[in-house]
Amino acid sequence: MKKFIAMLLVLVMVLSLAACGEKKEEPKNDTPAEPTSGTVLNIYAWNEEFKGFFEKYYTVPEGVTVNWVITPSDNGAYQQKLDEALLAQASAKDEDKVDMFLAEADYILKYVNSDATQDITKMGVTDFSNTYKYTVQAATDPNGVVKGVSFQCCPSALIYRRSIAKDVLGTDDPAEVQELLNSWDKFNAVAADAKAKGYYMTASFAETFRVFSNNATSAWVDKDNKLQFDPMINAWIDQTEEFVKNGYTLTAGIWDDEKNQQMFAEGKTMCFFGPAWYFNFCMGNAQDPDKGCSGDWAICEGPQAHFWGGTWLLAPAGTDNEELVADIMNTFINNEEVCSKLVSDEAQFSNNQAVNAKFASDPNYGSEFLGGQNDVALFAGMTDNIKWENHTIYDQLLNEGLQTALQDWYKGAIDKETALANFYKYVSETYPAIVLP
Amino acid sequence: MESGSGPLKKTKGISYAKWGYFFIAPFFIAYTLFTLVPQLMTFYNSLFMNYRDGLTQVGPTFIGFKNYVTLFSPDSGGQIGMLKYFGNTLALWIMGAVPQILIALLLAVFFTSYRLNIKGQPFFKAVIYMPNLIMASAFSMLFFTLFSNVGPVNQLLVSSGLSDHVIDFFSMKITVRSLIAVMNFLMWFGNTTILLMAGIQGIDQSMFEAASLDGASSLQTFFKVTLPLLMPILIYTVITAMIGGLQMFDVPQVLTNGKGMPDRTSMTMVMYLNNFLTTSKNYGMAGAISVVLFIVSAGLSLFVYNTLSKQYK
Repeated sequence: MKKFIAMLLVLVMVLSLAACGEKKEEPKNDTPAEPTSGTVLNIYAWNEEFKGFFEKYYTVPEGVTVNWVITPSDNGAYQQKLDEALLAQASAKDEDKVDMFLAEADYILKYVNSDATQDITKMGVTDFSNTYKYTVQAATDPNGVVKGVSFQCCPSALIYRRSIAKDVLGTDDPAEVQELLNSWDKFNAVAADAKAKGYYMTASFAETFRVFSNNATSAWVDKDNKLQFDPMINAWIDQTEEFVKNGYTLTAGIWDDEKNQQMFAEGKTMCFFGPAWYFNFCMGNAQDPDKGCSGDWAICEGPQAHFWGGTWLLAPAGTDNEELVADIMNTFINNEEVCSKLVSDEAQFSNNQAVNAKFASDPNYGSEFLGGQNDVALFAGMTDNIKWENHTIYDQLLNEGLQTALQDWYKGAIDKETALANFYKYVSETYPAIVLP
Repeated sequence: MESGSGPLKKTKGISYAKWGYFFIAPFFIAYTLFTLVPQLMTFYNSLFMNYRDGLTQVGPTFIGFKNYVTLFSPDSGGQIGMLKYFGNTLALWIMGAVPQILIALLLAVFFTSYRLNIKGQPFFKAVIYMPNLIMASAFSMLFFTLFSNVGPVNQLLVSSGLSDHVIDFFSMKITVRSLIAVMNFLMWFGNTTILLMAGIQGIDQSMFEAASLDGASSLQTFFKVTLPLLMPILIYTVITAMIGGLQMFDVPQVLTNGKGMPDRTSMTMVMYLNNFLTTSKNYGMAGAISVVLFIVSAGLSLFVYNTLSKQYK
């Protein structure tokens, strides 16, 4: 027994020594490049979108390994993973520290308004002359400290199928379609026409949610942290009830396969809503070479101006790669070549006004997916209407939770009161700090 | 646990009793460290308000039994959540466990019957055990994909003309619950069969021979010989299945993406517990649910043990 324990202790010691040895050896290999640069760059994200751009358009200095920690954002899983890492940041080893993380509009405030993120102007990101105002506002804390940048600007458009629009509206020209769909009354009336011709207006009951919620005049919670329904949210609920009842929409969730199948050529849905990232990253089915219908799409402003999502790059406090992170941020907002590539090769709407203006006025530029339409020109005209207001740290899960709770009602399983009661249950479980009405 | 070490008298011979305690000590040490202490800690934690709001930690503040009061007070819809989820769990468990135990019992009897003498037993045993080897989450994903609105089951139903529209399996209480029950049944009936077979094989074969010499029919043999002698194993099976059932989580969680749809009717107690742990890290409420779950499990186990074993004692 004693021998065994002795052996075990020896083994543990040897192993721990070996572990220490490895750690200490690494810095020696490091080329004396940047003094503040660690060898591992940990980036937290919820999908592969930015990873793809990063790997294509950014060259990390030699000796630096990029480690992507990707957790899907469903049910708040990404935030949970990130929170644990950020709260352990102070005690984490240098190579385990979060060096940069991505956040969406729906929960960026949670990180911006906390000490977990740091002032990027002190790190060397100072030129915001070309970025859109709201993208900086979103990443600015109440004291005016800028904590991150977005590599994209996300005005959201009405994305419609040209062939279906021709059938229902008699035209597929973006300007004419916009004229016919520029208010909710017109939109609802067209939905009836579409239904009469055997089409769906939208493929998800939640398709128009962002258009309404983004135009809300109050936040999800008031200053006493009491939950409140903005009139716009109620308007969305009413519209959706009507749409479901009349069969104008499917009862699928916003990310469900059932909805995505409608993007195939054989789909029967006329309208989708989304910014540039939506049609280049989430409409894969439409771009499918066999079953898709690339080119049969176009965009217009739709009934109300709004934006959706967007990805911000934030710098957590305690990163050991400050210079590198600052350089990445600068590259994705101010490097003209990279921003141009994002527009021309990735169908992004970049966060660089000069670059976007260049494409907007280029008569030869057009999106193949949108049948040659110049999407950048349209988006550039919509950016002035984007407002950054009425956001809370709870937005993502409240938006998701409301849609989930109401889906049972739309599918006919329960009535509206029960659905709302279920939403309140969800809120009390997810955010105990919110006071229920 | 270190008892029986009275004054040693060399003349009285060697007491081997202490070695018995020595041998069972590892279990009790492990139990104390990994089960008893965490259990007491859970109870302790359930007396605090302790959660996270964004990145800010709230508490822990001692609030006595307030979490338990919250747990059992009706919500805005007039429902007491805990009771609803307990009912869900029980319904889901019974729907899966009753066929599971009945079929397993039947299979065990067939496989061990010297009259039937089924060939290729190892093959069948392996096959019925197989579903248990698949991860529950993978199994649930598979079922979700199969039965989704755009899944193959719906395509088959529509293209074969059995249904003229897509059936939304996840919008109806009965279908979601049935799917969960079927999955649990498929995953566990093999395991139960093997346990019960071991039980039946442990019964003296001469009992069966004697029964058949006395002219007992198969049914009589089963009810008068097999079942009574199998009772201890059967009780064990039922109780373990019940404790497992009360802790049901992975299958419904993955199948319904944590939503317990429709109308939270497939939300089990542990899923409810999990809701408090994911975003809010509400250890107080989660602790309170754990304690209630423990009391319910213990109570039910005692009840089942007493009722089933009473007449055979």
